[in-house]
Order: sequence, then structure tokens, then C-alpha cells
Amino acid sequence: MTIDILRLSNVSRVYGKDATQVRALTDVSLSIAEGEFVSIVGPSGCGKSTILNMMGALDQPTQGEVHFDGDSLSEMSRGELTDLRLQKFGFVFQAFNLLPVLTAAENVQFILQLLGFARRERQSRTEAVLDALGLADVADRPATELSGGQQQRVAIARALVGEPALLFADEPSANLDSTSTRELCELLRQINSDRGITVITATHDPLVMSYTSRSIHLEDGRVVEDKSNL
Amino acid sequence: MKQGLFSQFTLIFQLGVRNLWRQRRRNTILLVSVICAITGVVVLNSLIRGMQAQMVDQVVYNLNGHITLHAPDYRSDPAITRGFIEDSEAFTRKLESVKLAGWASRIKIPAVVMSERETRGVQIVALDPAQEHISIVADLPVEGTFLASSEDNRIVLGRALLTQLRTKIGHRIVVVMQDIDSKSIEVGFQIAGVYDSDSEGMEKHVVFVGKHTLQQFLGSESITELSLRFNTRLIPPDGLEAISKAFPNLEVVDWKNIDPILAFMYESVNAMVYIWLAIVFTALVFGLMNTFITAVLERTQEIGLCKSMGMKSSLVLYQVVTESLIIMLLGLIGGLLLSWGVLQLLGDGIDLSAFAAGVEMLNLAPKIRPAVVWQDINIVIVATIFLALVASLYPAIRAVRLDPLVALKD
Ligand SMILES: Nc1ncnc2c1ncn2[C@@H]1O[C@H](COP(=O)(O)OP(=O)(O)OP(=O)(O)O)[C@@H](O)[C@H]1O
Ligand SMILES: [Mg+2]
Repeated sequence: MTIDILRLSNVSRVYGKDATQVRALTDVSLSIAEGEFVSIVGPSGCGKSTILNMMGALDQPTQGEVHFDGDSLSEMSRGELTDLRLQKFGFVFQAFNLLPVLTAAENVQFILQLLGFARRERQSRTEAVLDALGLADVADRPATELSGGQQQRVAIARALVGEPALLFADEPSANLDSTSTRELCELLRQINSDRGITVITATHDPLVMSYTSRSIHLEDGRVVEDKSNL
Repeated sequence: MKQGLFSQFTLIFQLGVRNLWRQRRRNTILLVSVICAITGVVVLNSLIRGMQAQMVDQVVYNLNGHITLHAPDYRSDPAITRGFIEDSEAFTRKLESVKLAGWASRIKIPAVVMSERETRGVQIVALDPAQEHISIVADLPVEGTFLASSEDNRIVLGRALLTQLRTKIGHRIVVVMQDIDSKSIEVGFQIAGVYDSDSEGMEKHVVFVGKHTLQQFLGSESITELSLRFNTRLIPPDGLEAISKAFPNLEVVDWKNIDPILAFMYESVNAMVYIWLAIVFTALVFGLMNTFITAVLERTQEIGLCKSMGMKSSLVLYQVVTESLIIMLLGLIGGLLLSWGVLQLLGDGIDLSAFAAGVEMLNLAPKIRPAVVWQDINIVIVATIFLALVASLYPAIRAVRLDPLVALKD
């Protein structure tokens, strides 16, 4: 039996007020089981980032409920949500991912420092993750000197290092060429299968979608298709 | 959990240093202005404190001492009839428990001095040179000789008076004054020497004679004042009370009473030190705040990123505050070191003799020697840290309030 790690019940998100209202999500209900590799796809403006933000506890729905591991996010305080993001979630954002004043390794260590790991533990974990992602050579380079693909991989390393339950990636391939995109997708798939981390990625790239085991199609803030790619 | 806090602190500190370094040009300017402000405050305060100390020294040193004792009605009518008997043994016994540099008994009465050509009104100060190590008398530069003892029967005048009287060392002058029966008497004195003083008023109006000699002429064993000097710059906290108790029949006047204007200036200086600090630091707070607001705005995305990944609000707050603290503490260390250097250079004092007239009017010494008051330095340290917190609090709160989603949007 699979366990639902995330459940959205009748989630709507309305931005703005009155005349300028935008309905970014309308009445979305879905469940994601532990260990799934999910892509959320659809045209620009359909609500992919919005739904990812709801799932990732970065934003609250205007209506409906989001449950993580059976707990309602709307019942948590801001501090609890912050802790949840730190301890259970990993994030890879579309464009801006790394702190420019830190090196690649320091960006990865960042999460471990927030989590309060001791220095030695931080270093060995960081090294292990960077090695696994083939980033050992660039570990000590400033984030600003990395290529787009390297930056995304460092971001993934950072998202992984805290051993999250869920990894969110919002258009991780947006700034990458197709070779880098393939490498990235391979990496995500490997993370999903080897480490058992649930991966949810928003994309409009069919290539990325083809790697995932399930794709949820959005249009105008509604789920229009939800299918298994297996 | 301790370990956890430590690793978070390391992160905050690391980010703080790197972010400051990233904007090193701007932050260097800020740091330099903090150093200048702190140096300005410390150096100027030391000069003000030096001036203040000199004010006190001046009064205390100038024939007054910290405390002067008179017969109760002497001050309204300074005459030998309002004197009191000097009982050295009793005085010594009473003053045993008080930490004094020394005491001197004197007669101070008005008189008229006449040379062959001119007449002038003066104050006669009759003293025992052996007791005067506590006053300016010991250090007065004298041409000719000063009085050798209490029994010396000559007189010492100021240079300005000598010029006015158009007479010379070795010549005789006549002094007219009232004796113990309030009768006018005329006494001739030979001029033993002439003294120079920073104060023209003193040179014109103060003449010295031997105490014992004058007592003989006046027909009295009395003195009119007992002057005390403590071995500290100010009167110790319970000093005034102890003296009043020891001499219940005498009027006890401290230096603040002797020179109320100076005492007022002395008190004002305390306020001045803090007002000056407040002005400089208020100016600084806006510069700092502005810099940190700019820093937060520049890093909107980064702060948003940190928050999305789960950085607690408190850490976001500390991040901004830490940067401010780093700058201000560096500024404090730099400012104190620079102040130390500047004060070292000014060690001999600033020569104000170019403004001698004004300086004399304010009763200041012609050279200002800086004096460091540690309490002032402590206040600067506390104020700097307080400033670091105040200036960064608003920018830090802005950082905390940033919505990570909005921040992350490019
Ligand atoms: N903060 C906001 N305020 C107002 N409207 C917003 C806000 N964020 C998103 N929207 C609107 O909500 C809708 C969904 O936006 P969302 O960012 O989720 O789309 P998306 O599918 O991620 O698009 P893209 O592929 O371009 O990233 C869009 O119409 C967008 O304009
Ligand atoms: Mg989007």
C-alpha cells in the first residue's frame, strides 16, 4: 500500500482583489504518494508555480486544504511552516538559486548549518553529495562562476543534502540546453529511485515530462489530465 | 541544540562578512565615517574633559583650595575683625582623617597701596610660605625673592601692579588697612620681589605679605581663612560633610561656591559631552540605516531564497543586525585606536595662547591637555552597540517581512 505524502483538497488560489482578481488555481484536488516522480505540465500562466508553492508550504490556498503526511498546513504557524520546509522539503528554483557570496560547497552546507549540524558532519555530507552529483571539481568555486547547468546541479545537491522527503523543482531546465536538461533529468530520476525521495517538478518541456512517472496537466488553473507515464 | 545555534551563528557571520565585503567600497566609506565619528567624539570629549579638569584645577589651585573656611560673617565684610584664631594643633587633629594634600591658613583683607606716585586698591594675602605648597604661590615665577617665612617683613607684588605704581624692587611702598580695632593704619613694606601670572587680574590686585608680620601690625592672632586641598582632583563624595562636621563654627565654602559661574560651566560640560555624542550618533544613525535598507533591497532575492529554504525569521533578522554590528564594532575598534593616536599626539596639550584674551576670560589655562574619562569611553562603547542595533532594526524588520515568493520573482 502506498502512503499519500501530499494531499490537495479543493484548493483554489486567487491573487489580488475585486476587479484585478486572478484565479490562478481553481478547485484542485489530488494526492501524491511517497516515492512518486511527478511532473506538473501546462502552458505558461496555467498555475504550475502556484500549485508547487502551495505544495511546498511557500504560499497558502485561498480555499481548500493542503495536507503533508496527514497534517494540515493551514493549521501550522509560520514558524512551523518554515521548519517544515527546512526539514522535509528541498527546493530547486527556476532562475535564482544560489547565494552569490558563497561557494558551491558553502551553498550546499547552508542547509546543514540551518539544520544545526556540526562542522565535521556538514563537511562529510556535503562532500558526499557533491561527489555523487559530479560536482567535486567545482566545490570551492564561487557560485557566480558556475555555468547554468552546474548551478542547477548545485541547487539539487543543496536540496538533497538535508535528506528531505520531498523535492520540488520549478522549471529546473528553463535555462539549460537539451544535453544539460537530459543530465538533469537523469539525476532527478536517480534521486527518486535510489534515495526514494518524492520528486515534483513543474515544466513545460516535454523532454522533462518524459522522464517522470506521472504527469499532471493544468490549464487555466484546473487539472485537465492526470496520467501515469509508466 | 547548542551545537545547532553555533552552526547557525557561523552561517550568519559568514554571510555577514561576505556581504559586507561584496559592497566593500560602500562599506569602507561607511566604516571610515564611523571611525571618524567615534574619533571625533572621543577626542573632543577628552579635550572638553581636559578643559573641565583645568577649570577645577584653576580654581582650586588659585588660592582657594577645594574648600575654604571662614568665620560666618567674613564673606559679607572681609576684615580682620571677622577672623578666627588659628590653632594648628586642633586643625591638624581635626583634619587627620581627611585625605588632604595640605592646608594653609591666611589673612585676606582689602587694602590700599601707595608708591611715591600712585595709589591702588588691592587684596592683601598674608601667608606662611611653608604651607603654600598646595597653591599657585609655590609655582609663581618671581623676580627678586619671594617671602622667606611668615615673619618676613617685606611685600611681593604682581608685575602689572608694579608697573602701575611706577616703582621698583627694593623700593618701599605704604599699605593702608584697618586693624583689629577698625582703625586705619599705615605700614611701610620693602618690595622683595615681583611675580608673573597668567591672570592680569591677579597681578594687579593680589599682594603677598608674611602672615605673622601682618598679625603683629593688625594687633591680632587671627586668620581669616583656612584653605584645604584634597589629594584628589575633585572633593571626595563625603569630604564636604566631614569638614563641616569638624568645624561647626565656621562657614564652609567649596570651590563651586567660590566660583559659581565656573561651577555652572563645569556642570554644563557634563551635559555637553552627552549632547555632542547624541548629535554625532543621530547623524550617523541615518547614514547607517540608509546603507542597510539599500543592502536589504539589493538582496531581496537572496533573502527570499533563504526564507523559502527554511531560514527562520529570527535568523533573517540577525543577519542584517550582524552586518551592522560587524561594521560598528570595527568602527569602534578603529575609532578608539585612532583616538588613542590623536590623543597621543595632543598629549602636550593644544596651545590656545593665540586666543589668550578669550581664554583668560573663560578662566582657562592657555594650554588644553586632553583628559580621558573612562566612563565617557564606556558610554561611547555602549552607544555604538546600541546604535548598531537601532540602525539595523528597521532594515532587518523589512527583510523579515519580505514575502519569499515575491522576492524570488525576477
Ligand atoms: N503574485 C501574483 N499576483 C497576481 N497574479 C499572479 C501572481 N502570481 C501568479 N499570478 C498569476 O497567476 C497565474 C498563474 O501563475 P503561475 O506563475 O502559477 O503560472 P505558471 O504556470 O507557473 O507559468 P510559467 O510557466 O510562466 O511559470 C498567472 O495568470 C499569473 O499571472
Ligand atoms: Mg512558473
